Amino acid sequence: MLVIFIRTLIIFSVLVVVMRLMGKRQIGEMQPFEFIITLIIADLACIPMADLSIPLIYGVAAVLALFLLHQLFTLIEQSGRLPKKILSGTPSVVIDKNGINMNELKKNNMGVEDLIESMRSQGYFSLDDVDYAIFESNGKLSALKSAEKDETAPSSMPILIINNGKLQSKNLQILRDDADKMKGFLNDFGATLKTTEALTVDGNGRAYLKKKKEKFRIIYYPLKENIRW
Amino acid sequence: MVKSIISMIAVALILTAGVIFETNFIRNEFKVLTEESTVLYDKIESRSATENDVYALQNKWVVAKEKLHAFISHNEIKEFDLWIAEAVKYVALKKWDEALSKMEVILELEEQVPKSFEFSFANVF
Repeated sequence: MLVIFIRTLIIFSVLVVVMRLMGKRQIGEMQPFEFIITLIIADLACIPMADLSIPLIYGVAAVLALFLLHQLFTLIEQSGRLPKKILSGTPSVVIDKNGINMNELKKNNMGVEDLIESMRSQGYFSLDDVDYAIFESNGKLSALKSAEKDETAPSSMPILIINNGKLQSKNLQILRDDADKMKGFLNDFGATLKTTEALTVDGNGRAYLKKKKEKFRIIYYPLKENIRW
Repeated sequence: MVKSIISMIAVALILTAGVIFETNFIRNEFKVLTEESTVLYDKIESRSATENDVYALQNKWVVAKEKLHAFISHNEIKEFDLWIAEAVKYVALKKWDEALSKMEVILELEEQVPKSFEFSFANVF
């Protein structure tokens, strides 16, 4: 039992560190250590149940060890800000009034595409629909709707054209333009592919441009006449 | 908070009691079995062992394994069953060398199984 307890402790601790390093992408609505318990408790219960060669007490001891660790981690987490920060992380402000914060996204092993996906699930389709977007420590996205959002503007789904300096050639095909035209367009606004963190364009030509270390801008992309979506 | 602490203490006590009981129980059970096996080994070595001597060890093992099932892997229990059964057969046939080799395995298992429950680097990793 002691060996099982120590082994559970080691596996649990390794998983907590790994899940924290993986960032908020891997969890959903649970703190990292709660997610880990959910992840391993099912197996711990099932293996001795299904494998008759393993004494049932092995599973019981490991589940009890996990319960003890859960209670212990909850107490430690609630004991102060630093333990909470270490065990569960802190919320990440991924969009603020200046636009996307790439550093925060990278810290959580996320990209602009992941952010757009999470925003869409919250009902926001454009990056400038919100003033603030925060990935909570439980992996959930919270967003504060932009006060400047024009509800009467014709709606169209924005598509990601430049993702952290990389041209999304498949999406560029929707615009029926080539890389040279896009580079020229960026050049008009004093940007290059390398300095562009994100560029989205919607079916009305409304574009969201976020250059490195600059506040985002809403500009208009000259769409070809017959291209609208 | 108080409820959490009480439940933690309760579980910690259950686990600690379990560890102490398990370690002592396994150690004592195997200590008795090792003593019996050593006596039988000496008898086989002096070629004075009878089938009944091995049956006596087998019966002791059958009684002990009923409780040991709760703590040790059932595959290890099966191993003991097989080695003891083979020892019975070789003693009955008076094949002393073969019987001795089976007893050596039994003695080795009786030494190693309790060790696998001890807190050591090898067991943890």
